Amino acid sequence: MIDWGAFVIVFAAALSGTVVVVGLYALGLRLLVLGGRVPVVVPAEFTDAITVLTPAEIASAERKAAKAARKNPLTTRQRQLATYAAYLCFGLCAAAVLFGIYLIVPALHGG
Amino acid sequence: MQEVTLLIVLVIALALFFDFTNGFHDTANAMATPIATGAMKPKVAVTLAAILNLVGAFLSTEVAKTISNGIIREGDSGILISPELIFAGLIGAIVWNMVTWLYGLPSSSSHALFGGLIGAAIVGFGVNAIDYGVLLSKVVFPALLAPVTAGIVAFAATKLAYSITRRYDGKPDGRSGFRYAQIFSSSLVALAHGTNDAQKTMGVITLALVTVGLQDAGHDGPQFWVIVVCALAIALGTYMGGWRIIKTLGTGLTAVKPAQGFAAETGTAATILASSHLGFALSTTQVASGSVIGSGLGRRGSKVRWGTAGRIGIGWLLTLPAAAIVGAIAAFIAHLGFWGVMVDAVLGLGFIIFIFLRSMKDQVGHDNVVSEVAASADAVKIKKNPKPKRSVR
Repeated sequence: MIDWGAFVIVFAAALSGTVVVVGLYALGLRLLVLGGRVPVVVPAEFTDAITVLTPAEIASAERKAAKAARKNPLTTRQRQLATYAAYLCFGLCAAAVLFGIYLIVPALHGG
Repeated sequence: MQEVTLLIVLVIALALFFDFTNGFHDTANAMATPIATGAMKPKVAVTLAAILNLVGAFLSTEVAKTISNGIIREGDSGILISPELIFAGLIGAIVWNMVTWLYGLPSSSSHALFGGLIGAAIVGFGVNAIDYGVLLSKVVFPALLAPVTAGIVAFAATKLAYSITRRYDGKPDGRSGFRYAQIFSSSLVALAHGTNDAQKTMGVITLALVTVGLQDAGHDGPQFWVIVVCALAIALGTYMGGWRIIKTLGTGLTAVKPAQGFAAETGTAATILASSHLGFALSTTQVASGSVIGSGLGRRGSKVRWGTAGRIGIGWLLTLPAAAIVGAIAAFIAHLGFWGVMVDAVLGLGFIIFIFLRSMKDQVGHDNVVSEVAASADAVKIKKNPKPKRSVR
């Protein structure tokens, strides 16, 4: 009566989907850093839950990122490659999400 | 005939109200983590959640089908579901939802709905009215397994995200870049919430329409206008509920970092979407809580606070039977005929107004509005920033 197969499918689908999406995005970030573009994303708004960063602290984080980028041992060519690879990862990640949505909307594939 | 029309209008109104409370209850599932990490401004986050709930409600109708034909035995071999029964079930669900919301007990809107309907059906037609096989396979087991699944998935994803971006040389690791990703992953959760939760109401309304012959039983999908009003009700509830959450956010979620938030949200969205696709009506709240706990454990130096986790678990277990009892009482009164239903309606309405008035009194600073998802972050204790070491790898 109980459809264990369906549970296994849900588990496998959720795990593989999440690992692919999160993995690709993380890899993209890693490659961005490797390419010398360290993203510094400041919280959009400081709710009570977030430690408040002063503008000076934000500027310091950005300087640190820029400094790390200057000391990069890679050649310009390698850095460019890493950055492109990072964008490729982000693109694949987005594609994976869109594919997932495509799969669950019956109207899109006539079933 | 007039009585039947009035009844069906009442049922639809109650179902939509339930949908509204559902959105109200669940804004935090999608938006607590991005607000906590500062990925989005709270106002933006809530508006986005409302819009995506609206969109999500149109995407899939598998869950609605599970509810409108399945759990309660209908047709020739089973029983004839009356609108009175659905009405009583909805009263049970709404009353339980409002009580838990007021007292901050962790609860699942979905289980409240099923509990209410089941309680009403048992009073109306005896214990044989329920198809326990479908109940177990489509409701109870998914409810137990889904949070565990989401937890394991979020745990793995968090480990992965941290290990890929980890640097041992102390240089900036760019992990704040996960904030951008959180915008998308939390949107996906809101969308998934729309695909799963709005449909529960659609299923109930469809069931009611079938019982009075306004819809052909063979045509099992919800009608278009039903989809539209349910989508609107849940979006409105999400939007309204968000303001309460924004006002009171600030406890419990400090420990969530962008990378964790992203992993947890992606895990939640993937689990809900996969389950919706197969017609499992699970609780988005429980899945989101499972994910938050899982992602907390995926971080270095984390430890489960079993007391908090246990309290959340007890709340989960309680919801279905408690709503069933309220639903059963409502069904018992509704059995007295037309006036019984009216008494139910008046009692239910009075109760809702009472709860609203009560909630106005202690709006801020009380733990009643801290969501369950926010509370589940508390279930994991994390030591402050332990240094990464190569040997731990």
